[in-house]
Amino acid sequence: MNKGVFRFALLVAGATFLLIIAGALVTSHDAGLATADWPLTDGHFLPKVTIFGITTSGVNMVGNLFWEHGHRMIATTVGFLTILLVIFLFVREKRRWVRRLGVAALIGVVLQGLLGGLTVKLMLPLAVSSAHATLAQLFFCTTVALAVFTSRSWQQQRSTIEESPGISLRYLCATAAALILVQLVVGATLRHSATWDKPLPTPLLLTHIAGAIIVTVVLGSAAVKVLRRHKGERFLTRPATVALSLLVLQLMLGVGAYLVRSASPNDPQPLKPMVAITVAHVACGALVFATTIVLTLRCFKVLRPRESKEFVEALA
Amino acid sequence: MLKQMKVWLVLTVVLSLLAVAASCSKAPTNETTETNTSTAGETYQSKGDEGTVSGVIAFTGAAPAPKKIDASADAVCGQRNPNLSTEDTVVADGKLANVFVYVKDGTTADGKKITAINFPVPTDAAALDQNGCQYKPHVMGLMANQKIRITNSDPTQHNVHPTPKVNPEWNQTQANGAPPIEKTFSRAEVLIPVKCNQHPWMKAYVGVLKHPMFAVSGADGTFTIAKVPPGKYTIAAWHEKGGAAGTEKTMEVTVPANGAGKADFSFGDAATTSTTPGLKMMPAIEFPMLGRH
Repeated sequence: MNKGVFRFALLVAGATFLLIIAGALVTSHDAGLATADWPLTDGHFLPKVTIFGITTSGVNMVGNLFWEHGHRMIATTVGFLTILLVIFLFVREKRRWVRRLGVAALIGVVLQGLLGGLTVKLMLPLAVSSAHATLAQLFFCTTVALAVFTSRSWQQQRSTIEESPGISLRYLCATAAALILVQLVVGATLRHSATWDKPLPTPLLLTHIAGAIIVTVVLGSAAVKVLRRHKGERFLTRPATVALSLLVLQLMLGVGAYLVRSASPNDPQPLKPMVAITVAHVACGALVFATTIVLTLRCFKVLRPRESKEFVEALA
Repeated sequence: MLKQMKVWLVLTVVLSLLAVAASCSKAPTNETTETNTSTAGETYQSKGDEGTVSGVIAFTGAAPAPKKIDASADAVCGQRNPNLSTEDTVVADGKLANVFVYVKDGTTADGKKITAINFPVPTDAAALDQNGCQYKPHVMGLMANQKIRITNSDPTQHNVHPTPKVNPEWNQTQANGAPPIEKTFSRAEVLIPVKCNQHPWMKAYVGVLKHPMFAVSGADGTFTIAKVPPGKYTIAAWHEKGGAAGTEKTMEVTVPANGAGKADFSFGDAATTSTTPGLKMMPAIEFPMLGRH
């Protein structure tokens, strides 16, 4: 086990979370097309700065260019960090499948960059923008999974626990994670369907609300079951508690995002409260997904299928 | 074998994405713009008996006060235009400015459909300026295939981004001091929103028609459409408020030879209240629109 790899994986996951927030800020400010140029911004990568009265040539970070180019700069940093993580994994990590997951993350970040460029060049088609937003969440979860797999708590020897009778917790958590992913795709499509000054498409909005109810029921029951069945097992109860808390917060942020948007449809620009609450909703959605992935992975790590009566009798 | 297949699969996906990105990297230029405006009809021959359509756009009810725009994101905008505010409903003495009025349909006195006649396209470019972080004028018209010349008078960078439905969409950065952008719209479209993605409050509307019979109401709400051949027409008045597509009102007007037709319109309470969507939602989903440009 290598502490350095774990810490670096954690750094990449943290930087990716910041990147998701930066991307959400771009969407909320309608800044995606603040420049038609890609991968550079108006021919530059570095921002324009003035040092000792001398102004360098670079990106003039004013207006929405601040959000769009800022997003690109953070994305580039995450790309480089991912390359370093993969190198780190190949040098220090013995498990082949973890190294492979690192390569998958690298492929993901490259594809994500290309999707980002594609959506600028195609002038934000809904399908590409939504795919870009969805892949961001998937990439984030891959980095979180890498942090989980390289952590000490994952690698230390643990005795397995037999699943209790009833619904399998492992599959309930996996179902919750899958449903959250679908909900994230619907949410991303909803967000990219209309800028702040246009009404949201009703069918998508209703689908997103229905998705929120379904996710609440499935993830809520999974987390509650974990807390009830495995009281003393912090390895499981901790992510379950965090997931449950984030779920409640996410629901409140969702309602808040809708209300602030509805309150200012005729404003000339996206207002700060609307931007803040909507971006927080996106960020919290990513955290709910990531925590559910952690919970699912840990359930699969320590819970084993319930042995059937016949099998136990046969053994006896 | 499986390993090789995986490598090829990844390479194919990456190269395909790059190819699509490269193919889409060029914004449509004037040279590549389609000229789909029909030229099959008869060319207009003036008989010298054209008249006018004029009128006043009234605004009923309490006019919404202009909203102050927070331009703190770009200090230059605040300096150039300290009183930057919304222009969507500009009312003075009960009269509404920035209403696009045009001949929508109708028949000339000699029985020809006005929309089937080809009018000569002016050689002068229609001007749109970015000044004080606002588009000037806010609403304008031009003919299909007539040049639009866009200038930047601000000491800051803008990007010009028309979002048409039937014409090609384009998005072009215009730095301060950059030469004017000249483009054309080849298809008639009422009206094309133009925005600046760097300054999200900046909006303009460009009406593109097959004929030159249009006008925009001034600060006093008046307008005059000149050189209208005698005939019976549907006159339309469009204002940006009233949902995603704005509000359009029409009336029938007869223009006598060398005479004047009258078309007074009224916007206000009804239109304004319907533009406050609040919880109002669009009934339809616009689903993946790849290649809509």
